Amino acid sequence: MTPRRATNRAGGAKNAPESGRAPHGAVMPRRPTNRAGGAKDAAESGRASHVAVRDLVIRVTVNGEARRWTVAPGDLLLDVLRREGFWGVKRGCETGECGACAVLVDGEPVNSCLMFAAQAEGRNLLTVEGVARGGQLDPIQEAFLDHGGVQCGYCTPAMVLCTRALLARSPHPTEAEVREALAGVFCRCTGYKKPVEAVLAAAAATATAGAGRAAAGARPKRRPAGRRAGP
Amino acid sequence: MFDQLRAFHRPTSVATALRLFDSERRAGERGKFVAGGTDLVVQRDRSLRWLVDLTSLPLRYVKRRGQALVIGATSTMADLERSAALRRLADGVLAEAAATAGSRQIRNMGTAGGNLANASPAADLAPPLLVLDASVVIATRAGRRTMPLQRFFRGVNRTTLNGGLLIEVVVPLPRVKRGGRAAFAFQKLGRLESDIAIVNAAAGVAVDGGGRCTSARIALGAVAPTPFRARRAEALLVGERFDRAAADAAAARAAEETRPVTDVRGTAEYRREMSRVLVARALAECLEKFGRGR
Repeated sequence: MTPRRATNRAGGAKNAPESGRAPHGAVMPRRPTNRAGGAKDAAESGRASHVAVRDLVIRVTVNGEARRWTVAPGDLLLDVLRREGFWGVKRGCETGECGACAVLVDGEPVNSCLMFAAQAEGRNLLTVEGVARGGQLDPIQEAFLDHGGVQCGYCTPAMVLCTRALLARSPHPTEAEVREALAGVFCRCTGYKKPVEAVLAAAAATATAGAGRAAAGARPKRRPAGRRAGP
Repeated sequence: MFDQLRAFHRPTSVATALRLFDSERRAGERGKFVAGGTDLVVQRDRSLRWLVDLTSLPLRYVKRRGQALVIGATSTMADLERSAALRRLADGVLAEAAATAGSRQIRNMGTAGGNLANASPAADLAPPLLVLDASVVIATRAGRRTMPLQRFFRGVNRTTLNGGLLIEVVVPLPRVKRGGRAAFAFQKLGRLESDIAIVNAAAGVAVDGGGRCTSARIALGAVAPTPFRARRAEALLVGERFDRAAADAAAARAAEETRPVTDVRGTAEYRREMSRVLVARALAECLEKFGRGR
């Protein structure tokens, strides 16, 4: 968990070409940069002088909003999302094991610690910040609260997002399917019984609410969304 | 974490990917191809200075080509487990193996090409692909070549790629002689099934109308420097009546063909014994499928 090193864009910026998309659709380098800490790089690589790093401009949609980010070639999606204030994306093991950093990319959960930010170009991301709508928690979040599926909360964003992807794919999952969908998110507090119950309840609630809405135009009871989670 | 990287290329064609890789490599700094990142990012190789990303290449497909199914290299494990064609092929062993290759998030990222090109001895796709006599298509700037998967692996994390790019896996459709039948099975032992394999194994058996084995394939992973076919065990089966006793004898022979190591996940002795158990289970599964009259 090294703090991200500040980028010194002093070098070469003035004469750098404008950023843009190459004819073949690749992300183009924005400008060459001399980076602070280049001496460390040079020492490690045994090479003299600076290392020319080409930052990239990527366009992504996060929680329905178009974003334009400047990222370094080696930036991981986890680091960029947190840098941009999406603190619901949790930093855990950083080796793809614990799943706390899961986000949905085009509707499917991935571990953002294993994805380069540059690979998110053009993709549609959903973090837990985008799950509640109009100040109302999603039925999945309601179910996690109602069934004691949240304790310290560190794994909860990932669990909620994995549930969201599961229910989109399979609105009436079996318990085995639920366990499989949550298997890549480690919880060290409650264990998995409560979250599994919560997911099954959310599935049932969504089905019932859907039926109810269809019959009477009723809206499910929602709880106002809480304060945004801190880092 | 990868702040030493100075370039991240995102080509959209194989030709461009190869050209970029080649010119970067000529410049003398270390770099690699990357796709799902589930191995590369975890390896945290700080000597890498550039990457050529493959996830924008048009290589994400499973399609029929002649008498084979062709898997594009950047198809994810999740793509494979969902593919209707792969679920029908060879009792679905490939789809089944893909479904065990890590958690849902990992399977949404990790690719078929990466699973093979990383050359982990424990690669879950390797045993079923070896059983299915699969080949890999390698693109280089000089052209494309196809080679049997078993010649592709050279050692732990070592392949014959040498700057080439694995673009496709070709899986011939299993052919069964008139009146005969074939069955396939995949077995894996991990802490949980979605964890890295301590041992994985696949088997494919064809029998004639009288229940005599006409062809056998047994492959194992995580018990030698590379995934491999247990050819002496296969030879024990061919020409003989395929029954439980034959299956158990072949499993014992297959275990003798392993060259396992001891590591944090299991001792060599445990791996060898579990190799026997898993091959026996895979063959028993084939036997059961024949018994069900499919």
